[in-house]
Amino acid sequence: MPPSHVYLRDNIAAKGNPFGAPAKARAEWAQGLNLPSNGECFFFAGCGYQFMDRAETWLKAVRGLEKRGLPVERVLGVSKTLKKVGVDLAGVYGKLAGSGKTTAYINALISAVNVLRKLGVNPAYLYDKEPCCGSPLYSSGFEEDFAENARRTYRLLKSLGVRKLISLVPACTHTLRNLYPRYVDGFDLEVRHFLEEVAGRLKNAGIQPALKEEMELTFHDPCQLARFLGITQEPREILSRVRNLRLREVTSTSRERTTCCGGGGGVEFTFPELSGMLAEERMKELLETKASVIATHCPACLLQLREARERMRAQVQVLDIAQVLDKALRGG
Amino acid sequence: MDPQETFAKEYRARLMQAARDEKIKRALSRAIASFRKNVDTALSAFPHTVKLTREVRRIKEESVERMEELVEAAATSVRKAKGEAYLAKDGREAEKIIGELVGSGKLVVKSKSLTGEEIELRQYLERRGNQVYETDLGEFIVQQLDIKPMHILNPSIHVPREAVAEMLRKLTGEEVPPDIAEEVQVVRRLLRGKFFEAHVGISGANVVSADTGSLFILENEGNARLATGAPPKHIALVGMEKVVPTLQDAWKVAEVTWRYAGYAAPSYLNMITGPSKTGDIEKAITYGVHGPRELHVVFLDNGRLNFSRHPVLKEALYCLRCGNCLYECPVFSLTAGYFGDRYFGGIGAVWAAIVSGDIYGEEFYRAIPLSYTCLTCGRCKVRCPVEIDVPEMIVELRKLAVRRFLEKPPS
Repeated sequence: MPPSHVYLRDNIAAKGNPFGAPAKARAEWAQGLNLPSNGECFFFAGCGYQFMDRAETWLKAVRGLEKRGLPVERVLGVSKTLKKVGVDLAGVYGKLAGSGKTTAYINALISAVNVLRKLGVNPAYLYDKEPCCGSPLYSSGFEEDFAENARRTYRLLKSLGVRKLISLVPACTHTLRNLYPRYVDGFDLEVRHFLEEVAGRLKNAGIQPALKEEMELTFHDPCQLARFLGITQEPREILSRVRNLRLREVTSTSRERTTCCGGGGGVEFTFPELSGMLAEERMKELLETKASVIATHCPACLLQLREARERMRAQVQVLDIAQVLDKALRGG
Repeated sequence: MDPQETFAKEYRARLMQAARDEKIKRALSRAIASFRKNVDTALSAFPHTVKLTREVRRIKEESVERMEELVEAAATSVRKAKGEAYLAKDGREAEKIIGELVGSGKLVVKSKSLTGEEIELRQYLERRGNQVYETDLGEFIVQQLDIKPMHILNPSIHVPREAVAEMLRKLTGEEVPPDIAEEVQVVRRLLRGKFFEAHVGISGANVVSADTGSLFILENEGNARLATGAPPKHIALVGMEKVVPTLQDAWKVAEVTWRYAGYAAPSYLNMITGPSKTGDIEKAITYGVHGPRELHVVFLDNGRLNFSRHPVLKEALYCLRCGNCLYECPVFSLTAGYFGDRYFGGIGAVWAAIVSGDIYGEEFYRAIPLSYTCLTCGRCKVRCPVEIDVPEMIVELRKLAVRRFLEKPPS
């Protein structure tokens, strides 16, 4: 068993998120948004977007060390030992590397809320009560832990009066929508993906999103979004409504034949260097479109592509589609 | 260190070494581009193929469900056609059967057989003092260079022409230019005589019909035609999952297989039912005219029957070995067959489990590091003609690994 998968499981058990971040950090992004904490329709932000800045520094550290010959298992061993005596390796590395906190993932969340509000949805938010859906438990093979977590999560959501979730992270959405019913008796929550909700509302809203300056953009379909949820038309429909935006498709590797960014199946934690190489390969395909912006919609894809761009010194912006739409809805 | 840990560590080292090797990436990127183009062309020229895949999926589902019974029926049909048929429980039994049929000190010509690779048949026959020639060009290169095959369709996909020229120079003692056409001619000359001197020809089969006991062998080079036709004895090693109910079914499976391998039709389709025979003199049937006098078909279980009963992992037995999944796999495109064991890619992880015989078997651990190398991205499934759900099987393998190796996790 790769120790990295065990590490993720232990973090979910101990901290309620795969990255071992302090639980109170979860809702920091929502400060100042005044999202209601009660309601029927809830915004499900997901661990990925909320903690990915931390995962990014951690992965950077691990990739750097692996290149210098220290395999990830050893790093995990060291990091666990350090944790026991109160030293947080990701935190330390983040400070050393001077990267500090990145706002890329958090901005995607804020934009998503802005977009929903503009389209007439004011969702509630669970703040630091938002549970981890347990997707990594499932894909790592910890079925019992997953089932237990799913039942607990469902009970919690029900007790908080949740009836509908608007979920962002494709993996969370797939897990909640398609896997939970297999493990939770009588599962009755409506799980909508953010892009489904937005595409539907935008069509009927009579608003024309517009950018001030022309933007050439390519869309990177996340695996889970395109192949597990079958959502490929919605992002294109949304983008086609934005004035001054030109969509440049990656010819043979878009939609259901999209190429994985390398951040899937836990490979990013088990083979960090390989995963980085895969991100660069995908980046090359995307760069062939000559677009100046790569939009996607998955925290892992964002992380992988951001990192690849940095290593390759590529002149391209990597954004979440929510950020692009938010901008266009504000008039560019 | 226990064998599990050693295997995982060595696997990781090999995988990463391959990933850092620019040559592999370059060779594969060319191959991937041309393969995809060929498949797209073949499918658009014969659009009914896509519809046919659904029928083939159904045929494979039924065949795997009825595997034991169909193999029995196929064996009966082979015998009726005056061939011999055997059922080997595992690799060792297959080796024993084939070893006795071949003997020692013999010259053997072999066409490509993944099932042969699975049990390392060539190495076994060589150890018994036989001279064995791989006759598929890719396999020949791999054999002569003493390396591992890296792809199911193109075993030497990672070897550039310069390396082939160098190998042929050493083998023949003559200068061979790094020119592919010339290299092919050298190999042709080298193997020409072997086909006719060989005592035994060994092949696999892409599909076998139970009702007639016919073996279908698809190829382009013509080596399988010679290896199964020229020597006096032909031995075929066939995985149990290759048997389908009828000749009609076998045609459908064969057509989908070659179309998804990128061909309108392969250069050669060998359909073999029993040994060579004639009735031209007084209608008296006499065997071994120009083709082999003896045909022996060895059906190999090696975990297949056991896994055909697993609700999720049985899907791997539907595999036609067309190779599309490998050309779709992002990890494979950087590491070639180093992402694999006997079989490659995500589905290779499942096959590592299958050929280990049992999830509580001794060698099951080989499937584990492979399963954690899969991105579970699912692109292979999109292109698979029989829609094998690799991500789902990978997660299932991981579940089995947790159950077996971590049992009760700490709460």
